[in-house]
Amino acid sequence: MNRDRVIVFFLWFVLWALGEFLIIGTNLFRYPVAAAEEATIVDSAFRFLTVLAVPVPAFVLSVLVYSVLRFRSSGPDQDGPPVHINRSWAVFWLAWTTGLTLFVMVFPGVTGVLEIRHHASKPVDLLVHAQGIRYAWVLTYPELGGFSTQELVVPVGKHVRFEVTANDVLHSFWIPAFRIKIDAVPGMTTTVSATPTLTGNFAEDPQFRLQCAELCGLDHNKMRLPVRVVSEPDFAAWVAAQPTRPARTP
Amino acid sequence: MSTLAGFRWIGRGLLFALVGLAVGAAFALGLTGLTGRPPAEPVIALGYTGALLGWLLGVGLWDVWAREWLGLSTRSLGAEGWQRYFRFNTDHKVVGVQYLVTFVVILLLAGLLAVLLRIELMSPGQELLQPRDFNTTMSLHGIMMVAVAVATIIGGFANFALPLLIGAEDVAFPRVNAFSYWIIPPVAVLLLLTPFFGGFDTGWTGYPPLSVGPVPQGTLLFLLAFLTFGLSSILGGMNFLVTIAKLRAPGMTWGRLPIFVWSVFAAAIISLTATQFVAAGLLMVILDRVVGTAFFDAARGGDALLFEHVFWFYSHPAVYIMILPAFGIELEILSHFSRKPLFGYKLVVGSFFAIVALSFLVWAHHLYTSGMQDFLHIPFMITTELISIPTGVVFLAALGTIWRGRLWLTTPMLFVLAVVFNFLIGGLTGIFLADVPTDIHLQDTYFVVAHFHYTIVGGEVFAIFAGIYYWFPKITGRMYNENLGKLHFWWMFLLYNATFLPMFWTGVWGMNRRVADYTPNLATLNQVISILSFMLAASFLVFVYNMVVSWARGAAAAASPWRARTLEWQTSSPPPLENFPAPPQVVGYPYDYGTPGAVHAIVPVAGGSADAGTKETSHG
Repeated sequence: MNRDRVIVFFLWFVLWALGEFLIIGTNLFRYPVAAAEEATIVDSAFRFLTVLAVPVPAFVLSVLVYSVLRFRSSGPDQDGPPVHINRSWAVFWLAWTTGLTLFVMVFPGVTGVLEIRHHASKPVDLLVHAQGIRYAWVLTYPELGGFSTQELVVPVGKHVRFEVTANDVLHSFWIPAFRIKIDAVPGMTTTVSATPTLTGNFAEDPQFRLQCAELCGLDHNKMRLPVRVVSEPDFAAWVAAQPTRPARTP
Repeated sequence: MSTLAGFRWIGRGLLFALVGLAVGAAFALGLTGLTGRPPAEPVIALGYTGALLGWLLGVGLWDVWAREWLGLSTRSLGAEGWQRYFRFNTDHKVVGVQYLVTFVVILLLAGLLAVLLRIELMSPGQELLQPRDFNTTMSLHGIMMVAVAVATIIGGFANFALPLLIGAEDVAFPRVNAFSYWIIPPVAVLLLLTPFFGGFDTGWTGYPPLSVGPVPQGTLLFLLAFLTFGLSSILGGMNFLVTIAKLRAPGMTWGRLPIFVWSVFAAAIISLTATQFVAAGLLMVILDRVVGTAFFDAARGGDALLFEHVFWFYSHPAVYIMILPAFGIELEILSHFSRKPLFGYKLVVGSFFAIVALSFLVWAHHLYTSGMQDFLHIPFMITTELISIPTGVVFLAALGTIWRGRLWLTTPMLFVLAVVFNFLIGGLTGIFLADVPTDIHLQDTYFVVAHFHYTIVGGEVFAIFAGIYYWFPKITGRMYNENLGKLHFWWMFLLYNATFLPMFWTGVWGMNRRVADYTPNLATLNQVISILSFMLAASFLVFVYNMVVSWARGAAAAASPWRARTLEWQTSSPPPLENFPAPPQVVGYPYDYGTPGAVHAIVPVAGGSADAGTKETSHG
């Protein structure tokens, strides 16, 4: 009578352990390079949710697979027991799913949002304007003489704020290595920020790219620019090499 | 000649459509001549409206319905046999079959488009399809599949089976029902014409300003098609709500409704109400294009973000129009083929309504990275994650039902067991998209593509196939080939998972949606996915062969081949025009498996009477 339950619980723990091993002990759930503080927040939320979720599919699979193997029948001649509900199971299930749901809302949900906001509210070291135009990004460094580039170059360890606009259709400003994304919307300025923690460039790792992530028309897929994170002296040298423009009068 | 005569109503519809097109176009030319606006888009919009009206009148609306509006008496169209499927027909079983066949064909066509996309995605760079063709193919695949997902269960199965399940003779508004089907063919025609009008590159979401244009004109065709389809959905929703509320057989109390009926009731609420919002949004885009208003043009005081809110205020609830009836089919079949009562019936019904209520409060989780106000992030994350509680109840019911049942693993049963597995993955990965921090990275990537293919294909389309196999004997009066059914199942189940599971990885690793070209680090995985997807596509050949051959030459089906207890199995296969010789008397719960002597309904049989329940309840 209770043998079925014992086996299912055993199966559950085995699958649970196996799942956690796959996540923590193997390379299967690797993430691309995390090159900014913001990326670490996203990846740790992702990893935490994955680890936390495992018992759910492990339980469902245990019951599903065990039932299919154990309770088969070759036709409609026999009926199962007339059980309409099992209150203690229903309460157990509701308590468990509600508890998990409320938990992930707070952590990593609300805490993650607050952490990202906290990072965004830190003093800004560098401001970059990004304008999406089909099918290119125009990047401008307004505080460094207002030059424009076709490559996003930022210094490591500095808090960079991106002010994003569009003048034709919707675009989206996405840098996979930083895990940041914000839409470019005609008629408004949206902002997103990142503090790069690793140097790197597009040639070595394609995650270092500024990619349009919102369908914007024919050549949407070609709307990407290389991103380069450099050391502070290299950044200063790069800025010095840019053509200067006369500062605009207000 | 008699074969051709069967198409006479469709022929007349086409003729009237041409006349309507000419009248509408002439009217538009006159108007634009007066106002000086460029005539192309008004000609398309009004020409289409005229053609749509002409088509409907010609295909039979005039005879069956519209004559009445002018004080004339209506007349029957009188085509019988196979010909009854090719005219305006008010029999819910005919309308159900019309919907099913139409949408299975659209499903297969849209699947072929997906194969084209996967050929292009075999390697980075753009080789096979020009940018315009890729975007049009991708957009068409999207909107056609969304239409399949919205209409196949409610239009097909609910139409065919729901009146039978509640012991009714037909739906509440049979003529509205026929109307809601016959405006679908123009939708399909418009969508298939888009490539000849420059295609459309907005995806099925049609966000302005991109969808406002001015080019390509195919976008306008898409918008008109979507709007027309929405009208069908609204009318269908209203019809089922009234049917369930008003036409239940004597004794069919709310507490005795089969769970599929409850799921359609819940979905119909969304269909009736939410669809009106997307219709308004689409109309505003059409007005921006055709008349020159500026709802979404920032430069003239409009707001592009507004559309995203309105669109998702419909389109998120819409996923529950898709999945709730799929849950209904899942739980219905699980109970009948486990020969056990549905576990937690009342809890499930409550969960369906909790899902309906919450579905209206979660739309902005599609907008975390849209630039909307920051303070909206946390509330929408909370409401979205709350939905996992009632959804979890559906899993509880599924597992509780099969536990210690007598599982008869026929093809429909295998498909609904797969729904449990697939939707598990679909549901869990949804949490990563509901969570704001992880969604910032995952939004608009293949992680999203994998997630909604797991919920909508793995959840709903698998339930659609379960429903097709389950009701096939009732619909056609013949049995399908069980071995081929199982072959189709295992082939589709394994290849489906092999194709879509890796997409979660490509998404995390930086592959964005709706692109023909991608970075070289993703080449190997994409090549594998493409090859697997071709093998997945081939599994549908087995399905089509089985359906066509079995419908034509399958063994005759008994009235109740599954010995299920619900009412549709207590009448002949296929049922007579009036469904039951006289209204059945419902006297008990539909899922009383294992209770000796329990009876669901007493169904009068031509030439005698028999009751449904006792004959088949075994006492073992």
